Formats: sequence, C-alpha cells, structure tokens
Amino acid sequence: MNLATRTIRSLTAGVLALVLTAGIASAHHSTAMFDMQHTVTVSGTVTQFDWTNPHTFIWMDVLNPASGATEHWSVEGMSPNYLSRNGWSRHTLKPGDKIDMQVHLLKDGRKGGFCATVTLPDGKTLRNLPGPPPKS
Amino acid sequence: MRSPGNQWAGSFAVVLLGAAVSTSATAGGTPETKARLPGTTWQSIAHLPDWSGVWELDWRAGAGRGAMGMPKLTPDYQARFDKYRADQKEGKNQQTQTANCDPPGMPQIMTQPYPVEFLFTPGKVTVAIEAYSQMRRIFVDGRPHQEDPDPTYQGDSIGHWEGDTLVVDSVGFIPDSLIMPGIGHSDQMSIEERIRRVSPDTLEIQRTIKDPKVLTEPWTVTLTYKRHTDWDIKEYICAQNNRDSADPEGRADMNLKR
Repeated sequence: MNLATRTIRSLTAGVLALVLTAGIASAHHSTAMFDMQHTVTVSGTVTQFDWTNPHTFIWMDVLNPASGATEHWSVEGMSPNYLSRNGWSRHTLKPGDKIDMQVHLLKDGRKGGFCATVTLPDGKTLRNLPGPPPKS
Repeated sequence: MRSPGNQWAGSFAVVLLGAAVSTSATAGGTPETKARLPGTTWQSIAHLPDWSGVWELDWRAGAGRGAMGMPKLTPDYQARFDKYRADQKEGKNQQTQTANCDPPGMPQIMTQPYPVEFLFTPGKVTVAIEAYSQMRRIFVDGRPHQEDPDPTYQGDSIGHWEGDTLVVDSVGFIPDSLIMPGIGHSDQMSIEERIRRVSPDTLEIQRTIKDPKVLTEPWTVTLTYKRHTDWDIKEYICAQNNRDSADPEGRADMNLKR
C-alpha cells in the first residue's frame, strides 16, 4: 500500500456500526467510492477546513517520508448539521493544526477519502462518522 | 338613491358571493365545516397533541434500509430492480439524484438523517425538513385532493385528525422520485401516513405506499422518530459545496480540485 504515513488497517467495529454508518453517511450520496470496511491513519497539517453542506472537507498537507514530497489530501466528512450536534464546530480545525485522521480511503487511489475520526493537536479524538466512542 | 341598475348590480354581487362560497366548499371546506375540524382554528390547535421540538429518525428502531425490508414488486418493476442491482455490480447506479443536490421527494425525504419539525397553523400542518431545506404542506381544512395536481416532489397532501393521530394521504409526485433506490413509481402512487406520538419523546409514522403498477400489495413500514427539545432545524443548502455529483450512469466521483 503506497501510503504517505504510518498506516493502520482496522476493521470497522461491528455490523451494526457498519449498517448505521452506511445509512447515515449515504443520505446525500453513496459511500461506494470509499473503502468503508477499513480505515487508514493519515497524519498531516491542516491547510483548510470547509465547514459547508452537504459535506465538510478537511484539506491537509501530508509528508511522504519515502519521497520527501508533500502530498495534498482532501478528506470529506459529515455535514455541519450533523457534526455540530456531535461535538464539532467550525473552529474545531484551523490551518496549521497537526492532526491524525482515520480515513476510509477513496477506492480509486487518489489522495482522499471519508473521515472516520480526527485526533486534534491536544490529543482529543473526535468521531466524524457515528459509532461507538473512539479510543483516545 | 338606488336606481334599478344598481339594484341589479346588488343582486349580481349576491350571486357572485354565492359562487365564491360554493367554490370554497371544494377548495377549503365551508366555513362551518372548517370550524368543526380539529386544527382549523387557533382554539382547536390548543387541543392537538404536543409535537413541539424537532424529531430525528431513530435508525436503531428499524428505520435502516435493511430493517424496512423490501416491498413486493410487480414482474415489470422486479425486472427493473434486478437490472439496477446487476448494473451496481458493474459500478453504475452507485448514486441517486440526491448526489446532484436534487431533493429525494416523498417518501424518502422523511427518512433522512436530519430532523423534521411539525408546525400547526389553522387548517395546515407544515413539516419543516432539515435535509435539503424542504417543506411539506398538509392541508387539514377539509379540502379534497386537487383534481389534477401538478406532479411535485412532496405531492399533494391532505390530512385529518383521528383523535391524536394525524392521517395524511399524498398523491401527485414527480416521475423521477424513488420509493427506495432502484425502485421508482408510477403516476398511481399514493402514500398514507398515520402519525402519532406513542410516548413523550417518541413519534411513530405508520407509512403505507400503494402503487398498483409497481407493488403487488401495499407496503407498510413503521418509522420511529425521537424528540430533541434542545435542537433547532438548521439550514442545509446542498449546492453550497457539493463535490460528489454523479454522472448520468450514477457513477461515484469526488471532486478534489481546490
């Protein structure tokens, strides 16, 4: 797997979580373009945070340790409507923040995906998709 | 003062008034009928059940696609659905029209992961729906359905109160809306909803879809909503930053251009 950062493959917890995730995340569009069975941890620096409908977007620069090049990642998230009821605000992320993100990668190999969780600079982990409380 | 001509004009006005009253009997019920129907005056609204707050579909209470089960389809629509599923395996039909910010319309607009709010005003129950910032207008003033309604996303909705249950019948939907992904409908679709609060914070909608061209029998599901008294309906403008639009084959895509 050609990934820029340390990667962790993990099965999404439980069938119920998967069903809930599929139902809730697919309101606007299907999750078929993402690998919803696995997440990969991507670490980088936030360059922009779009607090917009129908989806939030986290743009970040990720250093590829192998090539030394900086890659630009775009990771989609749940809507502001959903996230603001689940511990997020438009101030949660700002340019320059160094974060670790669990991402359901795009299947087509481009540098993007759907955000599962974000671990903030202070170590706090926020869940983006619904499911059991994330481990910090 | 009054000339014969004016007298004639006066009689004509009475005739016109009579015509107006008889017209309103079909458009909105007679004033006498309206006054008797629950929910048609501010006074009677005070006796309606308390549906204040906003209501979120409870996905754990069987609203998920799998839990709702499948309607029984006519051979024609079963064949269309089978083709839809086969095309999915080839990467088509991953998206529906909502990926392009086209609202789903009825019935799917009522099963979005965003809350709804019920507003009672005389003669009307309005459903404010957060997803796609949609609105449904349910007339409870005794009027019948429009004879030939223009097809709309939400349909022509007529309701009446049976005790604490709001019974809504909707017809006249745009051709492109879906009963569920892969299952369209005909011009004969009707949707009945029996809406009631079953506990202080639980609302239930028993929804029955009929469509003789598509379904071999009416399809009834029970949708459960939970109340949030500390939420408000928020704005949701899908076109604000949509990076997930679909191609005509419903293929998945994501625009990563800044």
